[in-house]
Amino acid sequence: MGPLIPNGIIGEGWDFVIAILLGIAFGFILEASGFSSSRNLAGVFYGYNFVVLRVFFTALIVAMVGLMYFDYVGWLDLSQIFILPTYLTPMIVGGVIMGFGFVIGGYCPGTSFTGIAIGKLDAIFFTVGLFVGIFLFSLTYPLFEGFFDSGYLGNVTLTELTGIPAPWFAFAFTFVALAAFWGTMLIEKRVRKNMKQYKF
Amino acid sequence: MHIHEINPWRTLIAVAIFVVILLIGFLTMPKPLLNYEKSMNESVDALLMSEDYVYPWELEEIIADKPDSIVIFDIRDNFVFGQGHIPGAENLSANTLTFPENIERLKALKEMGTTIILYGEDELQANGPWLFFHQVGFDNMKLLLGGYKYYNEHKDDLYSTMDDDAYYSGFPKFDYADMAAPKEGSELFSDSENKPVEVRRRKKSNIAAGGC
Amino acid sequence: MRIDNLNDMNRNYIFLTIVMLVLAAGTLFLTTSDEPKQIAPEELLQEIIQPSRYVTTDQVAKMIIQGDPSLLMVDVRPEGEFEEYALPGSVNVPLENLLDEENLSYFGVPGVKVVFVSNDDIRADQTWVLTKRLGYKGTYVLKGGINCWMQTIIDPLPPNEDAPKSEFEAYAFRRGAQIYFTGAATLAPDGENVQVQVRRREKTNVAAGGC
Repeated sequence: MGPLIPNGIIGEGWDFVIAILLGIAFGFILEASGFSSSRNLAGVFYGYNFVVLRVFFTALIVAMVGLMYFDYVGWLDLSQIFILPTYLTPMIVGGVIMGFGFVIGGYCPGTSFTGIAIGKLDAIFFTVGLFVGIFLFSLTYPLFEGFFDSGYLGNVTLTELTGIPAPWFAFAFTFVALAAFWGTMLIEKRVRKNMKQYKF
Repeated sequence: MHIHEINPWRTLIAVAIFVVILLIGFLTMPKPLLNYEKSMNESVDALLMSEDYVYPWELEEIIADKPDSIVIFDIRDNFVFGQGHIPGAENLSANTLTFPENIERLKALKEMGTTIILYGEDELQANGPWLFFHQVGFDNMKLLLGGYKYYNEHKDDLYSTMDDDAYYSGFPKFDYADMAAPKEGSELFSDSENKPVEVRRRKKSNIAAGGC
Repeated sequence: MRIDNLNDMNRNYIFLTIVMLVLAAGTLFLTTSDEPKQIAPEELLQEIIQPSRYVTTDQVAKMIIQGDPSLLMVDVRPEGEFEEYALPGSVNVPLENLLDEENLSYFGVPGVKVVFVSNDDIRADQTWVLTKRLGYKGTYVLKGGINCWMQTIIDPLPPNEDAPKSEFEAYAFRRGAQIYFTGAATLAPDGENVQVQVRRREKTNVAAGGC
């Protein structure tokens, strides 16, 4: 069955419908997990609330394991999945910049919109800053265009780069994720002892 | 703490649904009737060393003795089969080859170890199915050289064909270079074959491009 | 936090952890073969029993004369035979090298018609089956092979007196093709007209005859 649209099972126009439905579901999950509060989000960096790490890691391992099973059972054709092209150094630099923004602002781009949705003022400021940043980026793009396109490795996967078969990565990531869940629960217990807003 | 952190029973339900979906996937996996037994490399090697042919003169004995360990299948159409076929042959017309009951019968014959001789109107018609069956593991298939046409012409005296080469195929019947050389007085330059052939090769990337 | 909930919490978390670990370990046992992607056997059988893959020597000669860029002839004979003689514009892919990466990239190019050629058509047909198993489209087999090419193009047989008109047209075309490929002197006894049919809108197909 594979990816539905490239295989012609449903028409091309369903792209946008699926995108909207997925977006609504994503926003719902984010809000229901408590991501609209900048305190929860910045908590990862201060050590008192690791919900970001847990939610995203859970999504990662469930999706990874699920995709491997779906490929085996024939519901999906993994060779037709879009893989993001890798530009090594620019992506690392971009990740660091976003990390800074995350800690300083307490939101990331998606959660700032869920914050606006529940009416938080700091989310509005964050989103305005987001658009200002995009605008400045487009103005100054010619200055670092060369760097932006450097380090191109193609649409590679870890399996292609290292030759280790994909299920090993799946198992390794799952193990690390589950270890991280238990580890962060311990850290939270330790850190929260000293924070008064967590005393019920 | 967040409500989910205290008692994650909702997460439990979600994971349970996930496992159920995977189980459904495993149970509904299609079980194909045929599987490739030979890999691509094995197929090429087997083809290069192949000796699974039957010569026309061997048919004489087979028709006379009708041994149980040999079955002859005619893959031509039913109507043509009715007009004339090798005595003792059964009709297994090409478009019924995919029917499950025929595949089961072939599997049963393979279990019993019988040799199966395939023939068609000429060697070419039976060639495709013969190769196909070898790839899905039916190693007991043999191909009749020359096909029915050759048999029909010589059916009264098959032993005499031992010296005949007409049914052999795959060899040049003429001296190509001699025949096709530019004749005298022609305006063709004789090194026209040295012109490099322009080929277009398939591009390597098979990953869906696009996205952001 | 109430203490009695703690036991619930821990037990559920432990259960979830174990489930995920088991699932992830299960992926290690999913067999994936190193074989390149192939079409299902039933599909391959269906393709084999269609006769639509055969092209006649006349059709190929016409495409060469017209300079059709979508034609690619692949000769599957051993290298020695290819060196001795090969059809103009054909590339050599001996059967033992069929699965090399660079040879496989000849197939499956959109818009290119690959025609397999061998001495007769048996070897070419077998190669066609193998490439079809890998799922490549746009592949054909030259019916009769180079033996037939010699008999129809290089040295065509004139038709009998009472043969239908289409055979005479085919013969005229083949004489023209013969001149194109070998530069034979134009033997035109008794005012016989010899011409190469190039780019004419035709209502009848050049005869699908052969050997």
